[in-house]
Amino acid sequence: MKLPGQEDKHFEQVVRAYSADLYRYAYWLCRERFLAEELVQEAFLRAWKGWRTLRDPAATKAWLFTIVRNEYARAFARKRIDIVDVDVYELDIADSRPTVAGVEGMLAALPLAYREPLALQVLGGFSCAEIAAMLHTTEGAVMTRLTRARQALRTHEAGREKQKGAR
Amino acid sequence: MNCLDFRREKLADPRRLSTEAQLHVRDCAPCAGFAREIDESEARLAEAFSVRVPEGLADRMLLARRRTGRPRWAPWALAAGVMLAAAVAWNQLQDSPAEHYARLAIEHVLTEPGFLTEVEAGAPAALRTAVEEFGGRINGPIGRIRVVKVCPAGDGRARHIVFETPEGLATLILVPDKRVTSAAKANGKGLSALVQPAPRGHYVIVTDSQTATASVDRLIRNRVEWQM
Repeated sequence: MKLPGQEDKHFEQVVRAYSADLYRYAYWLCRERFLAEELVQEAFLRAWKGWRTLRDPAATKAWLFTIVRNEYARAFARKRIDIVDVDVYELDIADSRPTVAGVEGMLAALPLAYREPLALQVLGGFSCAEIAAMLHTTEGAVMTRLTRARQALRTHEAGREKQKGAR
Repeated sequence: MNCLDFRREKLADPRRLSTEAQLHVRDCAPCAGFAREIDESEARLAEAFSVRVPEGLADRMLLARRRTGRPRWAPWALAAGVMLAAAVAWNQLQDSPAEHYARLAIEHVLTEPGFLTEVEAGAPAALRTAVEEFGGRINGPIGRIRVVKVCPAGDGRARHIVFETPEGLATLILVPDKRVTSAAKANGKGLSALVQPAPRGHYVIVTDSQTATASVDRLIRNRVEWQM
């Protein structure tokens, strides 16, 4: 058990270590900068309240990402997190936002069901099994979404290369 | 493992290949090429996900945590690190809230000098949303919007906006829930603040002179329609 002062110090280390990635994750959930900051702040406040319940320090990062996700779901209680397995090929991402260039535009156009596991893997470095636990789904479903998301990115990049070549 | 299995695995988690997949790619030139392509696009993906993080984010998170368990009425004063002054302010707040909100806004602006130097790309859209959530509607330009930040304010979250005006930089703070019945001013530490009632709380304008604050007040009243 940590002394109160040690808890403070540990919490500060965790905030400094993870706030940037949590902010980026929150941003890619809600796509609004000021709301992303609010979500992260709320998440850290909740984390602090439950700090003593955290038994496994190795799980801190996953725990924090999950809290941010819950805060996002709370903030958008009426706008349920999109977990429907949309066929990403039907979305025609490469053409859906012709004015938004680059990978960032592709990510913005990607449905949340695909963008979220991708963000958790790229930003958080989580495995498919860890992501599945966080999203309350199966590892297979996460693998499928990640595969489709990356295939959409490849299609998008190939489309851009083709456009460049045609000019 | 065949090529199809390898590609599935690579696409699902490029950085965690099974031993089987690692053996396969070592002996399969087309899959090695595929893996290189994925690794390259993975780097672009990581760059795209790494949006700019606001300056002082971790400090603000820690500040918000430090105020938990403290009285909820004085987050700005706590932010300024003046616990005693805040306690005094609270006592005075009972009599004249608006004037003390103006003083607290000055303290708050002084604790966030970074907000006066930042510029965020999405700030104009964020301002429109913030004003709408606050019961208002912008019906004309108010100047170049630099940042829209979220700051703790009692039980809610204030929006801290910095924008450019002909008189220089101005700060507009939208404070939810804390209602006032009339306007009030405060001056000090080189800043001038004006509190105005709003449908869902109050707003404060802070600039470096009384003249500029009065001018920005006119601008806000002309360009923002409040549904009272």
